[in-house]
Amino acid sequence: MSSQGMGGDSRSFGRPSGRSGGGAGAKGGAGAKDGGGKRYFFRRRKVCKFCADKIDYVDYKDVKLISQFVPERGKILPRRMFGTCAEHQRKLTEAVNRARHIALLPYAAD
Amino acid sequence: MSDRTYEILFIADPNLGEPEVDALAAQVQGHVEKDGGRLQKMEKWGKKRLAYDVRRHREGYYVLLVVEGTGVMVKEVERRLKVTDGIIRYLTVRVDEELRKAERRKAKRALGEEKRKGRAGSQPARVAEVQQ
Repeated sequence: MSSQGMGGDSRSFGRPSGRSGGGAGAKGGAGAKDGGGKRYFFRRRKVCKFCADKIDYVDYKDVKLISQFVPERGKILPRRMFGTCAEHQRKLTEAVNRARHIALLPYAAD
Repeated sequence: MSDRTYEILFIADPNLGEPEVDALAAQVQGHVEKDGGRLQKMEKWGKKRLAYDVRRHREGYYVLLVVEGTGVMVKEVERRLKVTDGIIRYLTVRVDEELRKAERRKAKRALGEEKRKGRAGSQPARVAEVQQ
């Protein structure tokens, strides 16, 4: 009984992990290639704009500020794009969602 | 229970004239005050283009009210906003806690900077003493 349960578990784990493993492997391969060639990209370290400008409260009414972090199409981009810290990204998301509701920002532009 | 601060932002029908929008704003203020709220600030942003169509309108007249009151008041005011013709969208946000937090943070940072400045200032002074 228990072994069967475990087998079922491992199988259910096995399949997705196998798939994601393949994905990770492919990514790892690309990374290894970069490393093998000793090619390094020195990317300027992004600093959270909100931290730098000491903005404690991300106001949904401040469209000028928020729209810097939302492209024309209206999507909220992941943190890695703008380097915002987790805390400010959270606040930004909240502000964007509020601004969307009150039609200051689009949900999705065409 | 202590009162809370809310921002009520609503969009009025752009086809209304200025006096009608003023009347709407006064009406909302009346609702707020009837339920024991106080108006702190009223801002009229004027006609603005909407980011998307709301009830077939491309623009809207934005009015912001900052009020103090209770949750019960907000509930009632929101209900009335919903049934009022000429208001096409509204948003109520509680802001007191967030602003207080931001304020506290600012104070903390100012304190930290003060300390740093103090330290930076004291060091050259000591050097000067030694030289004397």
